[in-house]
Amino acid sequence: MDDVFDLDTLRGAARLAGFAWSDAELEALRPAIQASLRLLATLEAVPLGAVEPTTQYRIL
Amino acid sequence: MSTGVAFTPVTDLARMIASKAISPVEVVRAQLERITALDGTLRAYLTVCDEAALAAARAAESALVAGRPAGPLHGVPIALKDLYDTAGVRTTGGSTILADRVPEADATVVRRLREAGAIVLGKLHMVEFAYGPEGLNAHHGSPRNPWDAVVERMPGGSSSGSGVAVAAGLAPAALGSDTGGSIRIPASLCGITGLKPTYGRVSRAGVLPLAWSMDHVGPMTRTAADAALLLRVMAGYDPADASTSVLPVPDYLGALSGDVKGLRVGLLRRFFLESATPEVRAAVETAARALEQAGAVVDEVALPAVAHVGAASYAVVASEALAYHTGWLKSRPGDYDPEVRTRLQLGAFITGAHYVRGQQVRALVRGEVDAALARRDVLLAPATPLTAPRLDERQTTLGDGPSDVRGALIRLTRPFNFSGHPACAVPCGFGTGGLPIGMQIIGRPFDEATVLRAADAYQRLTDWHSRRPVLA
Repeated sequence: MDDVFDLDTLRGAARLAGFAWSDAELEALRPAIQASLRLLATLEAVPLGAVEPTTQYRIL
Repeated sequence: MSTGVAFTPVTDLARMIASKAISPVEVVRAQLERITALDGTLRAYLTVCDEAALAAARAAESALVAGRPAGPLHGVPIALKDLYDTAGVRTTGGSTILADRVPEADATVVRRLREAGAIVLGKLHMVEFAYGPEGLNAHHGSPRNPWDAVVERMPGGSSSGSGVAVAAGLAPAALGSDTGGSIRIPASLCGITGLKPTYGRVSRAGVLPLAWSMDHVGPMTRTAADAALLLRVMAGYDPADASTSVLPVPDYLGALSGDVKGLRVGLLRRFFLESATPEVRAAVETAARALEQAGAVVDEVALPAVAHVGAASYAVVASEALAYHTGWLKSRPGDYDPEVRTRLQLGAFITGAHYVRGQQVRALVRGEVDAALARRDVLLAPATPLTAPRLDERQTTLGDGPSDVRGALIRLTRPFNFSGHPACAVPCGFGTGGLPIGMQIIGRPFDEATVLRAADAYQRLTDWHSRRPVLA
């Protein structure tokens, strides 16, 4: 899974989001990105099924 | 030093000023003198509006002498987290990026408070752009928790200056904002009362955002009664904020009966009390028993979906924060605190699918909290699972194991930003080293009246909220 987070992949993902961060910046970010993506991956195990996402907030 | 009127509750100050028992000039001058004496160490304020506050106090005094109608906060000084727009006074968001930003108009709630007679003392310290719960700020220096003059401890954030100012008697009341706990965390760590109202109860127009769908604004005070008085003024529909509700604003202060007989209280042990340190757990359990002895009916309730709130709310907050900051992150990246910049950069690696999954979890959590409150009036939990950590502390141990401090501080508050339910933090004891312990009372949407009634009743049973830090 760590292969996913090589520098080329991170550079591509950042550019896709509109940021031209240097390799040094991305290297410094890499541990935090890995931790972030591991955290987000836990959401895949939540049985959400057809739960409709929140799109409005109790506008009464 | 003499405390004078520094710790007089807002409700009493308003009465004393209205009855001409004390002059608003005297009150404002006393607060400014105290700020001058203590804020060099505590660092609660970024901007002190001394001349404007004294001028407003003189005008308030003249109005009283002339017999002109006075609002419910006539002559009462307050302070504002530095993300509320103030006409003619810089509003920085605790950043250097907005260091010279001077709004032309007040935020809606600031305007409402001024119309009610309140006097703005100044703008308060905060975490840069409200993105962090510790209360640290690399640009301006971090405020100090007034409860520990020996070991420098976190005030909690992001409304750090608001917590410190109210706890130390540098303002009778302050406004904060709360995206993951930023009102309730500093309230808990500084031993004061902090109310996060229902999402949509109070306008955020003119308040710098962190994450629009999670941002709430509210009062930070020494008593629940003071929070009730301020909320009445602040709340209500605002055409400038599409999230605000048209529901009428009740008389929150009038609802404070002191009576909790028959009040159904759900104690959140699983996840909430389980993760607290032993001294926090003991204090909240004792508070539950105190309410029970006063006639409340306490049972245990669980919210299983909150276990997923950490990941889900992270997807939502980081995405929304990045959306707001993209321009500056490209044009002025070096002007951010490096830790805040990293948090923002991480948002670039979150996908739309992550965001939507987060919003699905949000629906689950909201449904669970609603269900728990269908048969109960309020829920009770610790506000933070620990007391104030040292300023340099990064790791801690909670009741259920090791945790980073940042995650620990925010863990028990953010479920109710995610769900949007009102939640009020109140002091419920003191732990090792004399540090405050806070609990939170959570209620049904738009039922701040019951939340505040429970908080006020608890404060009539105890004196935790009226204790003061010893300051040089």
